[in-house]
Amino acid sequence: MLHGKVLRSTEPHARLVRVDASRALGRPGVRAVVTAADVPDVRYGGAVKDETVFARDRVRYVGQPVAAVAATTPEAAAAALAAIEVVYEPLPPVLDVTAALAPGAPLVHEAWAGYTAVPILHREGNICNRARIVAGDVERGFAEADRVFEHRFTTRMVHQGYTEPRAAVAQWDSSGQVTVWSNTQLPFEVQNTLAEILQIPPSKIRVVVPGIGGGFGGKLRIGVEHVAALLARRAGRPVKVVTTTEEELTAAYPRQATTVELRTGVTRDGRITAKQGRIYFDTGAFAGSGPGVASVATLVLAGPYRIPNLLIEGYAVYTHKTNCGSFRAPSGPQANFAVESQMDLIADALGLDPLEFRLRNIVRDGDEGPTGQVLSAVSLEECLRRAADAIGWGQRRPHRWRGKGLACGWWTTTGGSSGVYVKINPDGTVALNTGAAEIGTAALTGAAQILAEELGVDLADVTLVAADTFATPFDFGAQGSRTAFAVGNACRAAAAELKARLFALAAAQLGVDPGELVLRDKHVAGRGARIAIAELARMSQQSGGGLIAHGTFIAPPTPFDAKRVEAHVYPAFHSPSFHAHAVDLSVDPETGEVTIHRYVVAQDVGFAVNPVAVEGQIEGGVAQGLGQALSEEIVYEGGRVLNATLTDYKMPTALDVPRIHSILVQRPSAVGPYGAKGVGEPPNIEPPAAVANAVAAAAGVRITSLPITAEKIRLALAGTEAAR
Amino acid sequence: MSKVALALRINGEHHEVLTEAHRTLLEVLRLDLGLSGTKENCLEAECGVCTVLLDGRAVNACILLAAQCQGREIVTIEGLAGPGGLHPLQRAFIEHGAVQCGYCIPGMILAAKAYLDQNPEPTEAEVREALAGNLCRCTGYQKIVDAVLGAAAELRAGRTSP
Repeated sequence: MLHGKVLRSTEPHARLVRVDASRALGRPGVRAVVTAADVPDVRYGGAVKDETVFARDRVRYVGQPVAAVAATTPEAAAAALAAIEVVYEPLPPVLDVTAALAPGAPLVHEAWAGYTAVPILHREGNICNRARIVAGDVERGFAEADRVFEHRFTTRMVHQGYTEPRAAVAQWDSSGQVTVWSNTQLPFEVQNTLAEILQIPPSKIRVVVPGIGGGFGGKLRIGVEHVAALLARRAGRPVKVVTTTEEELTAAYPRQATTVELRTGVTRDGRITAKQGRIYFDTGAFAGSGPGVASVATLVLAGPYRIPNLLIEGYAVYTHKTNCGSFRAPSGPQANFAVESQMDLIADALGLDPLEFRLRNIVRDGDEGPTGQVLSAVSLEECLRRAADAIGWGQRRPHRWRGKGLACGWWTTTGGSSGVYVKINPDGTVALNTGAAEIGTAALTGAAQILAEELGVDLADVTLVAADTFATPFDFGAQGSRTAFAVGNACRAAAAELKARLFALAAAQLGVDPGELVLRDKHVAGRGARIAIAELARMSQQSGGGLIAHGTFIAPPTPFDAKRVEAHVYPAFHSPSFHAHAVDLSVDPETGEVTIHRYVVAQDVGFAVNPVAVEGQIEGGVAQGLGQALSEEIVYEGGRVLNATLTDYKMPTALDVPRIHSILVQRPSAVGPYGAKGVGEPPNIEPPAAVANAVAAAAGVRITSLPITAEKIRLALAGTEAAR
Repeated sequence: MSKVALALRINGEHHEVLTEAHRTLLEVLRLDLGLSGTKENCLEAECGVCTVLLDGRAVNACILLAAQCQGREIVTIEGLAGPGGLHPLQRAFIEHGAVQCGYCIPGMILAAKAYLDQNPEPTEAEVREALAGNLCRCTGYQKIVDAVLGAAAELRAGRTSP
């Protein structure tokens, strides 16, 4: 097997004058070199097809692929990269959203108007989407308000931080078919993207996911699969490509930096009359997930509150930085940080307790969401009250430099279709075949539990085959808190069909009417007689091809008011979940350092299919959220990342994460299996806001930018001391 | 590139490896010997996924030359359990739901093993400090810490692997 490596741009914005790879090809051990000249001239991408495999004519960020090499050893591949000559003619880069939106700003994509894109997007120059919610009359709402508050918040680019790098192995066979082993969360999307890039039918592309060492959204879009496939085709040998930590922190799919502007009108007694909000996503050199994330953000920015008048806009903006993507609850932490920080600021200004102010405004059963969806199974009051009780809200500032903060929110359970094949084996075990990938959330364990429950077998009787585009049925993929929800429901559908067939077979054997039969202890039983499902599976295999069912599920559409949205690709939250976080922390007045004593999450999971796994999701999501809240930031200067190592990109260790107390609220959804709601993403949303609010309670300073570093707190304290 | 012959003792077995002199222990384990239980990520001793035991101490295999390990006792995750079943730490990780994606877990378990051998009766704070060189992005560490404390109690009680 050969080892592939990628040569990446060293300039944030430049004309590509020359790429000469001829000297690389002659080096020892080198078996293939590819550049833009060697691959089909196609643009691919999600909502906007604006990306190419290798830079053509122009580079748009430091880290953009320019060429790739495959060699017999990783060392030989690295040496060959150094032998490729690239001549750049630097051009002025656009380094942030403000610069990108300034009049006369250089266009990141001069040909943007000619790109293929989802038709409903609102695109213009460096804006690759502006999604909007308009409800009521926001100006009238502000006129009705006693006070109007305006605030601005910023957040920085952060990485998903999976411990396993992105990796792929590609191998072609003599019929022109390629097999790609990859740790992608979305094998079917990668299959289709490869088809676009390689210009061959998807049926010639087999994507297999052997396992994933964490993804958190960072392994949704194509990573190195196409590089491996192109090199392997050129070399005629299998090629493996693995990203380095430097590549991860400079050229992956991180969470977008944002700027949020909020204007909120309230009455004297704490009722919100209007909200105007804008969130700008620095989406980098390509649209990536930006147009969708900007849409989702508007629902988070409106918040789980009754607000009759809304004007909310989400902008995805091109800059000369790495292409941003999706990270666990995309847009959630950034928008929620702004909304929930402002809720506390307003409560303080009105002299109201922040919990009380929220309770006066939260949505309840039967209320409309921001786009007119009618909400049900709303548990927000219970979440808020239980989180507040557990943190000891009665003593919000137990003493100087110690304080407690609250934040709440809502999130979607993404739809998308799932298919499963379920087979009952002749030994009575059950084979579950799903196109979904297990990324470590135990979502497929949950689906297997559901299947075992429905078929009356033990969990250990269920075996799993997953995520192989040639062997498994389609699945929308491990994204959007949907896997256990959607695959679980597909399992129920398959089990229902198998049950009917088992009963029909058993009825004939036992001479009992199918309506009188039940599944119990791995047998079909009725009227005192019983027969093992293993026996029925054997009979079926001999006489009728065996017991196999195709179960499918698609979440029903959530009705909304289409007049309220523009350029919006995600206008309603399906089977929404509600949650509240509370944190108790201290601030060191000398250093500004934050010490977290306790952390509480009350999350409505609908129904906890696997409570230990659900707690695990909450604990992990909070830890990741605390990283964004307190320490994590990809630092750019002049279009270059300054901290592309794990020494300088500071993720929480076991010493940094407090004990997390999970309260599982269970208000069943109408659609999920046994009432389950999506679990995986929500715990990542509220930590930054909860921490900001607790820091304000403890230290009396309000930090409006993430991460909330000790340095920022200390500087803010110095400012208040100076003002005193 | 000229190759060198290395004699390594890994998981109680003797291995002769003919490999490039500059290879790290991690590269020799994964590429030359196919022992892929030891994971690979940052290659600069920051994340801890490549942790193995060297003469009983937890080390990062990514920054250690294989040649330096001759004549020493190397234990990887493949060699932790006895022939009879899982090591108490491995059992505890399963029982506590401490494994999500699993990628950091081999290193995490070996770091815990090295620490418990030195301090069989640790506090929670001590366990957290002992594991601070091993990043986990899935679990938030809570169930991992609980598993290590649980395994420590089991090891003290003298119940070992079957």
